[in-house]
Order: sequence, then C-alpha cells, then structure tokens
Amino acid sequence: MSGNSTKAVCAHCLLEVPVEAAIRETIDGKDTVFCCPGCRAIHALLRSEGLTGFYTRRNGWTPGPPESARVPIDSFDGAVRISGRRAEADLVLTGIRCASCVWLIERYLGGRPGVLSARVNFATGRSTISWDPSVTGIGPIVMAIRALGYTPYPPESLSAGDALRRETSDLLLRFGTAAFLSMQVMLFTAGLYAGYFQGIDARYARLFRWLCFLLSTPVVFYSGAPFLRGALRGARHGAFGMDALVFLGAFSAYAYSIASLFLGGEVYFDTATMILTLILLGRYIEAGAKSRAADGISRLVRLSPVTARKAVPGGGTIDVPVASLSPGDLVEIVPGERISADGSVAEGISEADESMLTGESAPVPKTAGDPVVAGSLNGTGRLLVRVLRTGGETVLSQVVQAVEEAQARKAPIQRAADRVVRVFVPSIVLVAAGTILFRLHAGIPPHAALMAGISVLVIACPCALGLATPLAVLVGTASAQARGILVRGGDVIELAARVRCVLFDKTGTLTRGRPRLAAVEGIGIGRDDALRIAASIEASSEHAIGRAIADALPVARRLPVRRFRAHPGEGIEGEIDGVRYLLGRPELLARFGVEPGEEAARRIAALPAADRTAVLLADDSRPIAILATEDTLRPEAAGAVSRLRASGIAVAMVTGDDPAVAARVAGEAGIDDVRARVTPEGKSEEVRRARKRFGPVLVVGDGVNDAPALAEGDVGVAMGRGTGLAIHSASATLMTEDLLRIPSFLALSRATMRVIRQNLFWAFSYNLVAVPLAVAGKLHPIAAAAFMAGSSLLVAGNSLRLRKGGG
Amino acid sequence: MWTTLLLIAVSLVFGIAAWLLFLWAVKSDQFDDVERPKHRMLDDDPD
Repeated sequence: MSGNSTKAVCAHCLLEVPVEAAIRETIDGKDTVFCCPGCRAIHALLRSEGLTGFYTRRNGWTPGPPESARVPIDSFDGAVRISGRRAEADLVLTGIRCASCVWLIERYLGGRPGVLSARVNFATGRSTISWDPSVTGIGPIVMAIRALGYTPYPPESLSAGDALRRETSDLLLRFGTAAFLSMQVMLFTAGLYAGYFQGIDARYARLFRWLCFLLSTPVVFYSGAPFLRGALRGARHGAFGMDALVFLGAFSAYAYSIASLFLGGEVYFDTATMILTLILLGRYIEAGAKSRAADGISRLVRLSPVTARKAVPGGGTIDVPVASLSPGDLVEIVPGERISADGSVAEGISEADESMLTGESAPVPKTAGDPVVAGSLNGTGRLLVRVLRTGGETVLSQVVQAVEEAQARKAPIQRAADRVVRVFVPSIVLVAAGTILFRLHAGIPPHAALMAGISVLVIACPCALGLATPLAVLVGTASAQARGILVRGGDVIELAARVRCVLFDKTGTLTRGRPRLAAVEGIGIGRDDALRIAASIEASSEHAIGRAIADALPVARRLPVRRFRAHPGEGIEGEIDGVRYLLGRPELLARFGVEPGEEAARRIAALPAADRTAVLLADDSRPIAILATEDTLRPEAAGAVSRLRASGIAVAMVTGDDPAVAARVAGEAGIDDVRARVTPEGKSEEVRRARKRFGPVLVVGDGVNDAPALAEGDVGVAMGRGTGLAIHSASATLMTEDLLRIPSFLALSRATMRVIRQNLFWAFSYNLVAVPLAVAGKLHPIAAAAFMAGSSLLVAGNSLRLRKGGG
Repeated sequence: MWTTLLLIAVSLVFGIAAWLLFLWAVKSDQFDDVERPKHRMLDDDPD
C-alpha cells in the first residue's frame, strides 16, 4: 500500500486499482486504499463491529468486488416461517469466496439484535437464519447481509436441486423409520426363531407375533408408500417395474404373516421390513449422490439474476424481471453484478469472470462488441449490454440442461433388468394364482391353498434381484470417485467396461498443458514489439499455448485489444490501434488471405522442431513474427499407455498441433497411431473412425476444442483442470489429472459389470430353484427365509468387493 | 413373565426414543450439511 507504485491493492477486496482512482483513508495511523465506496463501507462496518479478524484469517480469497445484485425485499416474504416467538428463513447467499466469509456472516448476523442463530453452508451458500419477530424482521437481515457485500436470494429462485433435496430428506425419514422398526422386529423374530427350535411358551410366541405385526405395519405403509405409489402407477399403465416387485414382495410377506396370526403358522414380518429397509437404503444413497451433483447445478442456476436494469429510450433505466427481456433490449450492468442475459457489449469497458463456464479464473476483458454470457460476474466497469438470448436459450441454461439430462440417464443394464422385472412380476403373480387354484382343485381347504399361493410370492422375493444392479453400480461409482474419477450417470460404467480404444488429446492431456514461450523472432519488427502485440491478443485466450504467450508479458504492459475472436484449432484474431492481427497456424493466415511467405516458412523450419510448437503473428498483409512454445510430457503418460496396451486396448493420439511436435510427444508416450493438424470437428470424425476400427472409444481431453470429441466418444473423460465446456461435454472427469487412473478406471468398470452379471445370475438362479420348490410345497418356510437372506447378503457382499480390488 | 414384559416395554421405549430423536434430527436439517460443521470448530476463535 505504498503511494509510489501506479497500482494499489484494495484493503477489502484485494483488487488492484490505479492509484489515481483509489479512495484513500487514514485508519489507525495507516494509509489504507479502497477500490470503491462499497469496499470502504464494508471495511468500516467490520472495524466498528470488531470483526477485522476476517482480514487476517482469510485465505483462499479470490480478489473480486463485493456483489451488488438487487432482489426486491418483498420477494423474501415467502421464505419466512413464523412459529410463535421465532421466525426462520432459508436464504441463498452468493459472493461467498472463502470459508472465512461464512465465519464473517455468521458472526455479524449473530451479533444483530433479535437474531437467534445464523448458519451458512459454505459449499452451497444456503443459510438458515432465525430471529425473534418482535425485535427484527427479514428486511433488516437482508440489508445486513448486503452491507457485508454478499447477495441474499429467496430460496424460490432455486429449482430442481431443492426438490431433490426434499426428496432426499423424505427418503431418509422413511429409511430411518424402517431401519429402527425393523431392528425391533428382528429382535422379536430372533426370539421366535429360537423358540421354533427350542420350544417357546405359546403366550410369548403370541405376544412376539403381535408385537412384530404392530412394529412392521408403519414400515409397510409409511416407509413402503413410495413403492406402493410406483406399483399403482405401473398397474394403471399395465407395466410393472421394480417398485411393484419390491412392494409385492414386502406386502405378500406381510399379508401372509397377518393370515398366520389368525390361522396359525410362521410369520415373516422381518422379511417384509428388511426388503423395504435395504431397498430404501440403496435409494437414499443414490438420492444423496444425485443431490450433491444437483448442488453444482443449482449453483449454476442461481447465477442467473432475477431482475435486470433495462435502459429506456428517454435515458435512465427501469428494473424489470429478466424473463421479460427480449433480444435487442439494452440492459445496464453495474460493477460487481451478474450479467443477466447473453448478448454483446454496446458500451463500456470492464472485465468479466466467466469461470463458471470456462473454468478460467482470470477475468476476461470486455469492451464494445465483445460477447458476454448470462451468469458471468461483471468486474470493475459499468457495461451496457445488448441482449441476444435470454432464459432457457442462454449458454448457461443449456449447460445446466445438458448436465441434468446426463444425470437422468440410467445404465442400459439397469434398463434391461427393468424389462426382465416387467415380465417377472406378472409371471410370479400368475404362478401364485395357479398354485392356489391347483390346491383348491385338489381339495385342499381354502386357507391352506391361499397360504401356499402367498408363500410363492414371498419366496420369489425380489431382494437380490432388486439390489443386484443398483448396488454394484453404486459401489462402482463410489470407488471410481475414491480413485479420483468423477463419473456422471450409471451408464458411464457400463460403456467404459466395453471400451476398446482410447483416444488422447495432446496439449493439456498427455502433456502438462502449461507450455512456456521458448522463442520469439520478429520479421521486420523488434522482438519486444512482437511479444507485446502477441501477448496482448492472447490475454483473452484460453488455449494453453495462448496462455504461455500471454504470461510472458507483465499484465501492466498489455495493450487494449478489440474485436477479439478465437478460431478453435487454428488461432485467434484481435485488433490493436485499428490494425487487425492474426495469431495462429499458417492455415489461419491463409484463410484470411495472408501469405505466410518463404521467409517465415524457412525460419519455422530452422527451429528445433522436435520439441517446439510455432505460431505465426501477422498483420493485415504479412507475417511479422514467429513465436515458439514448448510443452512437456506428463511423467506418468508412458506408463498409462503401456498399461492400456497390456489390457488389449488400442491407443491413439489426436491433436491440432503440427506433425513434428505430435510425433515427438507420441514417441515419448509410446503411441504409434497419431493424427496431427486435426480440427475440432475433425476430432469427432476421428472418434467415429476409431469406433469403426476398434469398437467403443474413450476420449480424454481438456479444452474447448475437444468438446465435440468428448461428446462424440462413447465415454468422454475431461481433465479436472480442463475448461468448463470440456467438463460438461464429458461423461467423467479426472479430478487428480493422473493418467494412470484411466486404465484403473477401465479395469474397475469391467469388474463392476462382472459383479452385476454375477449378481443377476445368482438372483435368477435362486428364483429358478426356489419357486418350483415352493409351488410343489416342498420348501420349508424357515429354509426359504434363510435362503432369501443369504442371497441378499451374497449380492451385497459381492458388490462391496468392488471397493477393494478391481484395479 | 412380568420381568420379560417389563424388559420388552423398556426396549420398546428406548427404540422409540431413538426413533423420535432421529425424526427430530432429520426434520431440523441436521443431516443437510455434513461438510461444514466439522470445520466450524477450527474457525471459532476466542477473540
């Protein structure tokens, strides 16, 4: 914070500000700098509240201005729940940058008069605040949060994620209830079983049976309600699914046991409750995983503002709901505000944080003509944006949609199991009905015939069948996650198990993706000027080579660039001082009618081509510089390739780079099949070709230019530090960036499929043996119960093996 | 007989108490966020 430099750092938000624009104040005898009145006000507030500990404790804070989106106070009214002397509201906060923000908000709100408690969830920004309605209200609380520089939203602005969360907590209630009650049921059943072998006082047996009945009734009708609803829905459409099978199994055991209560005989209340408890546990875990994934989505959804300031013809602005905007409207975006619609900048200079889409944390400069996307965070300047797309058509909503679709997908083998169940349920019902009719026909008393029929239903209990696939997929997905691979959707595991060919991108995937600038040679201009132009243009690029060039120049020396445009796979263009520059491969220059010329070609040829990538910088008429970068191979790349080979999987490399560099990298990694100079569209063509030759293809990539290939591949794996678009197009993400995880993920997928097949085989063969025995009346009920429990345990145990072995 | 009945009653009371506690815990969102609370103790300084 010295006064000599041209830049100073804001004491609150840590953004750099030009000294002349900074607000200065002497605090405790020290000269303190602020970037804006907002930061200054927050700093003053923290001082007066004795919360300056925030500044010393925070780490992981990314510099950025406080947020200032405005949501009308009355829209919070719906969020308030009042019960007696206590009111409560769930709010969603944005602008939380580090864990200390949570501390600050909780501390500050906790110190407000009337506030009883404040709890903020760092990961999701959800907060629950309770207060005494006779002392304070939602208005002052919202204002207090805004005063700290965070933006509260009413929870209604959330959508799918919230419904999923309610569903999760509903499932937890049903599962918990089922678990507690079935433990009690088990207790008494154990007594009954012991009594069966050693003899038991008839009074106790009667008491235990009735207790079991009382305890299992809520399990069947409360915990089992979702299955009952599913079964009824299925019955209406004439299609029985897993729900029907589960409920039928549980309910028939329950009904049989009630009949036994009155007619005498064994009771199977424990079977009824255990089926429901186990299946509910599976559903709960699944819902938990889904809602964690949905948290990510709802965080994206929340980024879209609810209101916008629309510019009116006479000058000035009015607040309108974002939904009412139409293409062509002008909206004003003030510093620190989220951009409300996709569009282009009509006026103003600022920068935008688009990290939620691109994964690139550095702000992107925005001047007139530049495209902006809804949900990105405006930096320090005021912008006037011409709306292009709103609502469901914005890039952000499309990403959200794509992710939601991907998550709704089911593993094909699970669909196959569902199809089998659809046939299985009616057949079992028919067999049971047939058994009853046959017995009646043979002159057996009606109640005994009925018992025989129901026991067929009980024995065909779908426990093992119901658990076979979901449990294995669940354990497989969880172990993949523990190995650093985030899998999206159950179908990915199945597809990965069949992969015959792995296609690697080069830059950022096989190599570290952080190349550095190795050489700059000017043609007709100085080396320094060439670097300055190239680095300024590349400042907006997210390509790895672009970043290397941009990083070679201090930020302060960058020139303002206009009309920046990226040509994926070829290069970029931009305008400085009215001159259009092209920066990229010779093809790009040729496409714009600039001849690379012999001089440039000769110089490129003279570079030690084996380990360098050269790009050309050209103005309107001729090339003016050659820039060479070099990139290094990831140390584990060769190991990963040889492990893939060893398991019989073909490996190939596809890159947009030139053949010499591609051949060098491929040689080091041990790959013979190399395609260089491939455009993004060409990459998906390569995927199709590889599929024809080898079979299902797994694509590994990291950049925007890999997105089409990642989506085209049977399995797309994005590198964890890859761009947002790549991660969203991919079906799995490599969190650790360790390429060795890819062969181990494939091995795990194959192991998971093997376990599913074993589980299904066991569950079906159990039914194949047990059902005919039950129909013939040869299977003793106790043996059937033990057999049934054994088969479920076998399936569960077999699935849990995936946690350890399998690669 | 009576001791057994008493023990059964006691076990039911315990079981139901645990169940009610669980119902309360879910209803008051105790399971909503299992990430943050474990870090909270590291944050609260004595001032």
